[in-house]
Amino acid sequence: MVLINLTGIQPTGYTLLADDAQPKEGENVAVSVERLLGENSSFFNTAGGVGAIITTGTAFSDLDRIADKLAFAVIEFPAFGDGRGFSLAVRLRKDFGFKGEIRATGPVIPDQALFLLRAGFDTVEVTTKRKQAFEAALSRFPGFYQSDFGGQTSIAHARHTVEGLGVEGHRKAS
Amino acid sequence: MYAYDTYDHAMVNARVAEFRDQVDRRMKGELTEEEFRPLRLMNGLYLQLHAYMLRVAIPYGTLSADQMRKLAHVARRYDKGYGHFTTRQNIQYNWPKLSETPDILQELADVEMHAIQTSGNCIRNVTTDQFAGAAADEVADPRPYAELIRQWSTFHPEFSFLPRKFKIAITGAAQDRAAVKWHDIGLVLKKNETGEIGFEVLAGGGMGRTPVIAKSMRDFLPVPDMLSYLEAMLRVYNEQGRRDNKYKARIKILIDAMGIEEYTRQVNAEWEKIRHVPIDVPEKEVARIKAFFAPPPLAVSADDVAEVTELANANFIFKAWLNNNAGAHKVPGHAHVTISLKPHGGIPGDASDAQMDLVADLADAYSQGEIRVSHEQNLILPHVAKKDLPALWAKLDEAGLGTANAGLLTDIIACPGLDYCALANTRSIPIAQSITERFDDLKRLMDIGPLKIKISGCINSCGHHHAGHIGILGVDRRGDENYQLLLGGSGAEDASKAAILGPGFNEVGIVDAVEKVVAVYLGEREDEESFLNAYRRLGPDVFKEAVYGTD
Amino acid sequence: MAKKITGPQLILANRLDDGRAVFLTASGTWSNTAADSAVAENEAELDTLMTVAQAADLANLVVSVTPVAADTSGDAIAPAHIKFAMQARGPSVRADLGYQVSPNWEQ
Repeated sequence: MVLINLTGIQPTGYTLLADDAQPKEGENVAVSVERLLGENSSFFNTAGGVGAIITTGTAFSDLDRIADKLAFAVIEFPAFGDGRGFSLAVRLRKDFGFKGEIRATGPVIPDQALFLLRAGFDTVEVTTKRKQAFEAALSRFPGFYQSDFGGQTSIAHARHTVEGLGVEGHRKAS
Repeated sequence: MYAYDTYDHAMVNARVAEFRDQVDRRMKGELTEEEFRPLRLMNGLYLQLHAYMLRVAIPYGTLSADQMRKLAHVARRYDKGYGHFTTRQNIQYNWPKLSETPDILQELADVEMHAIQTSGNCIRNVTTDQFAGAAADEVADPRPYAELIRQWSTFHPEFSFLPRKFKIAITGAAQDRAAVKWHDIGLVLKKNETGEIGFEVLAGGGMGRTPVIAKSMRDFLPVPDMLSYLEAMLRVYNEQGRRDNKYKARIKILIDAMGIEEYTRQVNAEWEKIRHVPIDVPEKEVARIKAFFAPPPLAVSADDVAEVTELANANFIFKAWLNNNAGAHKVPGHAHVTISLKPHGGIPGDASDAQMDLVADLADAYSQGEIRVSHEQNLILPHVAKKDLPALWAKLDEAGLGTANAGLLTDIIACPGLDYCALANTRSIPIAQSITERFDDLKRLMDIGPLKIKISGCINSCGHHHAGHIGILGVDRRGDENYQLLLGGSGAEDASKAAILGPGFNEVGIVDAVEKVVAVYLGEREDEESFLNAYRRLGPDVFKEAVYGTD
Repeated sequence: MAKKITGPQLILANRLDDGRAVFLTASGTWSNTAADSAVAENEAELDTLMTVAQAADLANLVVSVTPVAADTSGDAIAPAHIKFAMQARGPSVRADLGYQVSPNWEQ
């Protein structure tokens, strides 16, 4: 597996914490949402950065209870067609103002690279074989009709905010 | 009509380049069929019985003459000289080669058309009233809002991988010609007490194996709130729609399970969070899009035109065509004209390349270069001066496009069925052909009056049988084609679900049964009562007795 | 092992490039004509045919490989079910299109 960096963020190094293990002092750990919901402040204080392993079945209301304690988030796609993963990332960014790294794991496909970026993901774990296709897909579209979390304003805005900008200038200006 | 700017062009061109690369990778074996299938579906490319099938979007059913010429060209150059207009305002080609589809899509992109989101679990082509911008009974033209939705929903970062496909329809008139109550979301443009324009919002309609009529969830949504409200509606569905069973994944199942009140509550709660964050469209952009749909410069003139009346008095067929296929336009002295793609004995919705070219020429000559496609699988010239009707009719009639049956019994909706479709259980087209041949008598058809027959070759209901005044559903009975008869459905503002009358028939029996049902209606109707109203008054028993006998 | 079969089977697929329906022959090639089909009379024979067919799938020659019941009662082998018989002939409403015109109707 390799990590594709969509946004240029500094990717988080972390340990996947075993179910019965406790974090070491200052250690970055990733833990399931279910477990995080039951952890107290000493857990969060001990660990360096705490990340949530978020399955696509996670209720938005559960995120509400932990979002402000998270340093990073790992959203697991069980299948590339499970679009809840995109909504979960959007929710973290839009509703909770989450600024940390959001990583995608699971069988996402290269043709989703821009969807991931635009929904607010920073990084995505892919098989080495797919690295090149992912990177190629990232530069495929010059613009989209929606404003996004990759820092690009929508075409609808670009048409009116910068006079005569044109397609080429759109991406740079955003 | 909406015209692409450099942004729109760049988007569809990028999409074609992307698909060309995907097809190339597939042909070389770098993508497996399992990986490629969702990618081709997202570009409207299916694999059917005999070949691939390409479904091209005709956004909200509006076409220019030049676009129609391109559709004709694609039919001629890449297909077998015809196309099939569908119940979702798309056109389908039945014989494209995989290796040539990128070229087809590039040709379409050149005239501002695409196949984006005509399949897959995403927001599909937004459909609307075929008479939008022309109908006399319209509150407002729904097409600017449909275009806003088209742009908002195209490659939406959050809603491109939904639990299941998602269909939105808008009507701008109280008389619903877009079947909005049979859609995942239906929007009905209306005016409130202060004269402000907004939408009634309906949700949870759909056909398929579980037919459900959409329920109203908001009586009046102001226009500026449209996209943020849709975003909230989609968000709740995307999160909570079932993903474990594709037959239970549509929003209608979610809303039935949680109740429309609870769904509305959750949507409103979502909306409160996002409604003050602008969803992407500045006012200037709305104004820009609206300007494209400004009414064409039609000169008001008298509604009574002597030469039209004279020809109508002299020629019964023209009179019938005038009566059935020409409708009231918002500008006096004009009409919108339905070109029937339902010749008796023909294939509903099919048009040859030559017919498409002719319609394009006639649109240029008589209809401001504009054409519409209806969900009832006909073509429309929306802006025809009444004085031109005799000349237009003569040219249509000569080309086999003058069938005077719009809205009548032989104006049948039929899915492609087992003649083409890999999902079908039975053929649909031959049933439509048999019925139209059996009723090939214009005087008889006009005596029967408005009667909508809709035929589906399987439970997926692409032929809208649930909404037929008479619906026909093909089922596989131990390897034989069997046809169930349903009565009492409606796709209009008085939407209702058709009910199965009794045991099914073979392909001859179903036509006999339709004839018996019509005979009961003719015998029992009161005054000007339509078939649907008579059925609603009489109930199924009298029809059942006529069709199946008493014992 | 292939699934249990109750009668003779033939193998139907679509060519990857143009999507046209094709039938697996005894020599392992794909034909436009259903009558050229190799017929499996039992599970073991079906296994053998499916191995050949799936290799063609993996080689990106065909997609949608499907074993279907064969009607061997007439002069020519044909798919038994109407749906697959349709694939062998072409659309019933367009006698001018499909293999019903000729196996090489597009050339």
